[in-house]
Amino acid sequence: MSATATPSVATVASAIGSFSAAAFAAHLATQSSAPAWWLERKRAAYEKFSSLPMPKRGDEAWRFSNTGTITLDGFSIPASGSPSSLASPFASAIAVLNFRNNALVSSTPLSAELASTGVIVTTLSKAAVQHAALLKTHFMAQPQKLGSDKFAALHTAFVGEGAFIYVPRGVVLAGPIVVTHSAAGAGSAVFPHTLVVAEENSKVTVVDLFTSEDQTAQFACGANDLYAGHGAELVYVGAQNWSPDTLSFQFNSTIVRRDARVKSVNLHLGARQARHESLSQLQAPGALSEMLALTIASATQEFDQRTLQIHQAPNTKSDLLYKNALRDQSRTIFSGLIVVDPDAQKTDAYQSNRNLMLSDDAEANSLPGLEIQANDVRCTHGATSSRIDPEQEFYLQSRGIDKSAADELLTFGFFEEVLARLDLEALQEVLRQLIQTKFTR
Amino acid sequence: MSQLEIKDLHVSIGDKPIVKGLTLTVRQGEVHAIMGPNGTGKSTLAKAIAGHPDYSITSGEVLLDGKSLLQLEPDERARAGIFLAFQYPSEIPGVTIANFLRASLQARLAEGEELDATAYYKRLYSKMDLLKIDRKFTSRAVNDGFSGGEKKRCEILQMAMLEPAFALMDETDSGLDIDALRIVSEGVNALRGDKLGIVMITHYQRLLNYIVPDFVHVMWDGRIVKSGDKSLALELEAKGYDWVKKELISS
Amino acid sequence: MKPLTELDAAPAAVLDDTSANPVEGIDQSAGNFSYKVDYAFDAGTGLTEDTVRYISSVKKEAPWILEFRLKALKTFFDKPMPTHWATKDLEAINFDKIRYYLSQGQKPKRTWDEVPDDIKRTFERLGIPEQERKFLAGVEAQFDSEAAYSNIKEIVAKQGVIFVNSTEGLREHPEIFKKFFGKVIPTGDNKFSALNSAVFSGGSFIYVPPGVKVAQPLQAYFRINAENFGQFERTLIIADEGAEVVYMEGCTAPKFSTSTLHSAVVELVALKGAKIQYITVQNWAANVFNLVTKRGVAHEDAEIKWIDCNIGSRLTMKYPGVVLKGKRARGEVISIALANDGQHQDTGAKMIHAADDTTSNVVSKSISVGQGRATYRGQVHIPKHLKGCKNNTECDALLINTNSRTDTYPAITVRGDKNSTQHEASVSKVSEDMIFYMQQRGLTEGQAMSLAVNGFINDLARQFPMEYSVELKRLIDLEMEGSVG
Repeated sequence: MSATATPSVATVASAIGSFSAAAFAAHLATQSSAPAWWLERKRAAYEKFSSLPMPKRGDEAWRFSNTGTITLDGFSIPASGSPSSLASPFASAIAVLNFRNNALVSSTPLSAELASTGVIVTTLSKAAVQHAALLKTHFMAQPQKLGSDKFAALHTAFVGEGAFIYVPRGVVLAGPIVVTHSAAGAGSAVFPHTLVVAEENSKVTVVDLFTSEDQTAQFACGANDLYAGHGAELVYVGAQNWSPDTLSFQFNSTIVRRDARVKSVNLHLGARQARHESLSQLQAPGALSEMLALTIASATQEFDQRTLQIHQAPNTKSDLLYKNALRDQSRTIFSGLIVVDPDAQKTDAYQSNRNLMLSDDAEANSLPGLEIQANDVRCTHGATSSRIDPEQEFYLQSRGIDKSAADELLTFGFFEEVLARLDLEALQEVLRQLIQTKFTR
Repeated sequence: MSQLEIKDLHVSIGDKPIVKGLTLTVRQGEVHAIMGPNGTGKSTLAKAIAGHPDYSITSGEVLLDGKSLLQLEPDERARAGIFLAFQYPSEIPGVTIANFLRASLQARLAEGEELDATAYYKRLYSKMDLLKIDRKFTSRAVNDGFSGGEKKRCEILQMAMLEPAFALMDETDSGLDIDALRIVSEGVNALRGDKLGIVMITHYQRLLNYIVPDFVHVMWDGRIVKSGDKSLALELEAKGYDWVKKELISS
Repeated sequence: MKPLTELDAAPAAVLDDTSANPVEGIDQSAGNFSYKVDYAFDAGTGLTEDTVRYISSVKKEAPWILEFRLKALKTFFDKPMPTHWATKDLEAINFDKIRYYLSQGQKPKRTWDEVPDDIKRTFERLGIPEQERKFLAGVEAQFDSEAAYSNIKEIVAKQGVIFVNSTEGLREHPEIFKKFFGKVIPTGDNKFSALNSAVFSGGSFIYVPPGVKVAQPLQAYFRINAENFGQFERTLIIADEGAEVVYMEGCTAPKFSTSTLHSAVVELVALKGAKIQYITVQNWAANVFNLVTKRGVAHEDAEIKWIDCNIGSRLTMKYPGVVLKGKRARGEVISIALANDGQHQDTGAKMIHAADDTTSNVVSKSISVGQGRATYRGQVHIPKHLKGCKNNTECDALLINTNSRTDTYPAITVRGDKNSTQHEASVSKVSEDMIFYMQQRGLTEGQAMSLAVNGFINDLARQFPMEYSVELKRLIDLEMEGSVG
């Protein structure tokens, strides 16, 4: 009996912390131009947020998480952002939106030619007015199944601004659309959001970059909603590089329709504690979701990744590969679940978590799960935690390479498998450079 | 003497007709070769006779000694005396050849009758010797990790043990090198006799040098379009399938 | 994650039927059968301090044992049902309607003729020995195994082996057993270990002196014995330095069910260089909750191996574990589970590495038939600053029908850069081509399916003693009947 640790009662942080009713009212006051339905959603979300308890040790959805260090105290909604001189990291970007402290501070619009095809790259606040129907259908519309109901509600309540990307039927976009989200100032709470709707047979690549402008303690609670219609191809890259003292939550929902393909790559570098939840729903035959993630955990960072692959229709495919490199006293948690619904015969699902242990004090937790209710399926999962081959280590040392440089080399080697799965060379390069920063800090 | 009669047989996979009116009678003691290019319905014919659920017989008859096989389950057909040597035999992990054959033979006995284990092993070993199969093979799982040649020899071993009235050999020569082909052929030749009728399905004439057929039939687009003796195979080898095609068009 | 609705909705009526007598009125249609039996000692239904005092007094126990029991009872009451991770079906257990102690049954007034025909056929096909059948069928209250048992006891006693039941062990050899009793599995480990600690009776206490290698597996000789059919047996096996012992329990026959709740605790201690192998084959009636805690501690260079086969029951929850306490200790769990309609096998393994260079291996194979559900739950824990630890886990699930279900929930924690773990799981079905191939050789579809399933578990089944693996094969044949078509 008892394959799990028995729960013990731990001190639970305040359930609302800095996000009091007064703070919410102040936030609503800044949303004067928003339509009524949007405000109504926010109010309902705030209700939900404030009524739900904080996660605690022993909650199954938070198993192995250090819930004791999750606090909502000491943060504030920063005043709207000031213009920033953030240069676009991509020459090839076809449109750029730069957000800072929950406000749009600069942008590079689509070319007139692309705009004429019906592609929309705009802000959530504008979309709430101009594209209400689309927003109502797709914005935070999927159930939170991975444990963060409370924080997802907090996101909806306080989200100030975000990216809205719509690609109409049949439109194929070559270059990426880049969205940057930055936080500035001590205690700043940011709520980044990116919503992508790729209609039938369209093709689009969207990049989210999350950064802090300073090294202070901040709070990030972001989400992205991805929708790939019939035959669409959607590539999403999210690179998280918050300050080392930031508490971060990020929620992803992906819907994949008939014969559509979604590939998401998440890179996790920053924050002191980062929770990432990713839900892929394969809703019609031929749907494919590739879920890829790379994490470098160092110092005392904790990266907590929870995934769910739900096969709701026959002949669907999902392929998950999460790789963590662990240094210093860092911790990682990977908890993944493949669910195959009773009618989803001929499902092909894969889930793999690989941990590269680079320190004697690092801790990797893996919870790869399967719930299969159809018999004609191909489902496999695997989890490994491995040490560096001592021979390999010695070989590197004999060439005069120190521990840090060796870690870097091995990490790059370990990550290559995932990076290579991005078709855009420029994107691979941006991610490599970001990874590099983690070693030169 | 038993006979297997195939009468105006039509077989479809899904909605697609593959065999389109094939008639053939095979008596025990005879070896018939069915030759033809790929995709002409040779393998479909064999699987349909054996009762594979993916193949539907839309019209026609298959009679064994005058009795229809078509309403029978695959295992009932097998016990009635039909053996299919598969082109791609299935792997059955964890089930040894010895146990598998034993279960197959036991299934042929009347209820309450028990297979004589000593006699069984004696017979199994003699057949293995005949087919030059290492005795260690008996403790290996059926076809699991076998090479192409090993799989084909394992098929012939099963045929030898189960003693069918009629054997349908589906591309038995495919994937075999010359040595393996010789061993397999010797095995088949050793089984030839009054008690066995053979239908050999093959793409190439090569096999027929080793197992000399009494009759050769050419199959084209789901039908037998030409029949003859072993010289037909040689003629086919020399002139190629295009020759048949041209003849068909001209007629 | 998603609750299994059919289990959630399952009525508690099956359990309520036992209100008057737990062996009365059980649904016999599913192969469960029972008769009214009179018992000399009967603790009545429900669980209070008085129940525990009654059990302790009947057993003439030392005061410290009563105290142990009473403390455990409190823990049991305090602990919530583990439904935050386990199935809600546990809530269907009505603790007030269960009898916690029955002993020395008088001969029931039944004859062999009254045993249902299908049960007789099952015994026949499983090849259960004549004399055991009568006991299993409840026609005889006690299988006369005393002679065989004394015999084996005598043989091993010459080697200094102590082989007694739990009551006798605690009474006659407290100096040996008290030291380890309740130490491997503390009372509060989980709700059901607490329950067992409060009301345990039956089970074996074994001590094997240093260097003694017990040649024959213990327990096979008295595998049928009233106390071993208890609901709450307690087993403690201690293999002293360099000792070796194999213990076997259970059998493949469907059991004459005396209760709907079975909750055992089994503790193993392998001291330096010792080896313990614990083999279980169980086939519970389809209304039984089988909630068992099994764990061993392996000291330096010691080895503990659990070989476990779970068939039947409404719900089995069992995760044999090994605490690898000494350097180079080895732990292994080999498990086979078969879940048929209405059954949930929630089984797995727990490997706690607590010393350098320890290795653990888990191989689990499950088969889900009809609407059966098989769950693997595992824990591998390699805490800080250890080196050279290795775990390998393999879980393979076979789903027979379109509505069969399987789940896998491993949890692996590794600290440090000098250890390695590997977990792999796969889910498959028996391919149609394989079935056709076998049918083409003359086997019926059912025989082909049985053969395929037996092939699937063959590498594990071989690890069971011969008589068990033969029974197992026959049992699978039986279970697979009606699974096709």
